[in-house]
Amino acid sequence: MILIEFVFAAICTLGFGILFNIPRKQLAYASVTGALGWILYSELIGRFDSPVMAAFAGAMAVGSISEILARKRKMPATVFIIPGLIPLVPGYGLYYSMLKIIEADYTAATEIGVETILVAISISSAVIVTTSIGRKFKRNKAQSSE
Amino acid sequence: MEKSEVKRVLKLALNAGKMLLEYGAETYRVEETINSICINKGLHQVQSFVVPTGIFLNVEYDDEYYSLIHRTTVKRIDLEIISMVNDFSRKLLKDNMSIEDGEKELEKIENAPVFSLSLRLMAGGMAGGFFTLLFGGNVVEFLIAFINSILVVLFTTMASQYKISFFLKNLLGGMVNMAFALVLVKSIGNMVIDIQIDSVIIGSLMPLVPGVAIVNAIRDIISGDFVSGTSRLTEAVLIAVALALGVGTVLQGYIFIVGGSL
Repeated sequence: MILIEFVFAAICTLGFGILFNIPRKQLAYASVTGALGWILYSELIGRFDSPVMAAFAGAMAVGSISEILARKRKMPATVFIIPGLIPLVPGYGLYYSMLKIIEADYTAATEIGVETILVAISISSAVIVTTSIGRKFKRNKAQSSE
Repeated sequence: MEKSEVKRVLKLALNAGKMLLEYGAETYRVEETINSICINKGLHQVQSFVVPTGIFLNVEYDDEYYSLIHRTTVKRIDLEIISMVNDFSRKLLKDNMSIEDGEKELEKIENAPVFSLSLRLMAGGMAGGFFTLLFGGNVVEFLIAFINSILVVLFTTMASQYKISFFLKNLLGGMVNMAFALVLVKSIGNMVIDIQIDSVIIGSLMPLVPGVAIVNAIRDIISGDFVSGTSRLTEAVLIAVALALGVGTVLQGYIFIVGGSL
C-alpha cells in the first residue's frame, strides 16, 4: 500500500515538475523527494490525527532531502522544494474554504480556512528551518576553505 | 569606474533580479542576487527593495546616487530559469565575467528551453489524475480527472496568451473545470459506477490551485518581507476566490437548470 502511494505521489510530483519547468536531469530526484514527503505525511496523519503536525514533518523531510540534493547536484534547493511540497501544500483547502463562503456555510468555511492557514504556516516554517540549517552549513564550508 | 559603467552594472543586476522575480523566485533570493552582482562589480553601497510587483534599486558610488525602478508582473513558475540565474550570479563572482558577457549570458537564459506543449498537457493530466488517486479516488474518477486536467491546462495555456488578468483567468479556469467535469461525469461516469464529482474536482483543480503561492507568501512573512508576503497572500486568496466563484457558478447553474443536487 505504501509502495502504491509512493508511486502515485512520485508521478504527481513529476507532473508538477514538468509544469514548473524544472531542469530535466533533476526531474527524477524531485519526484522521489515529493513522494518521500508525502509518505511521511500520510503515515503520520493517521497517528497524530493532526494535519498541521503531519504537514510539518512532511515538509521537514522534503526540505532536508532538498538541501542534501542541492549540495550533491549543484542546484538551488528550490528546484526540489517547490515540486516536492506540491502534494502537501494546502491550495485545495483555500479553494474549498472560499467555496463554502460562497455557499454561505460559514462554519465549514472557517474550519477549513483556519486549518489551511495553519498547515501553510507549518509547511513554511519547516522549509525555513531546513533552509537556515543548509545555509549555516554552506557558510561554515566557505569559511573553512578560505 | 565611469558613470556609464555604473549604470550598466545596475541594469545588469536589475535584469537578473527581474528574471528571478518574474519566474517565481522568493523575495530574499532576488534581493540577494541583485546585491551580490552589484558588490562583485565594485558597487558596495547598494540598497534593493523587492516586492512582487516591482524592484527598487539604489546605489551610491563616488558621492553620487544612481537608482532604477522596474515594474514587474509574475509570469509563471519556471525553476529552470531560476537555477540558471542563480548559476549566473555565482559564475559572475568566480570567473570574473565582464559586464558585456554577463548581458549576453542573461539574454541566453531568458530563452531557456521549455517542455513542449504536449508534454506539459500530459504532465497536467498526470498531476491531476494521480492526485485524485492519492485522495482516495477510484479508477474511473482517475480517468475523468486525467482528461479534465489536460483540458484545464490546455485552457489556461491558451488564456495566458491573451493577456487577461489572473483573476479572470482563474475564474474561467474554475468554470471550464467544473463544466467539463459535469459533462464527463454525467455522460460516461455514472454509466459505470457511482462517481463522486468532488474527487474529480479535487484532482483536476490542482494545476490551478494556489498552493505554492500561499506557502511562499507565508515564507516571505516569516522571513520578515512583510510587504511581499502580504501581497502574495492577497494574490493566493484572490485566486482561490476566483476558482471558487467559477466552480460555484457552474454548479449552481447546473442545479438551477437541471434540478436536483449532486
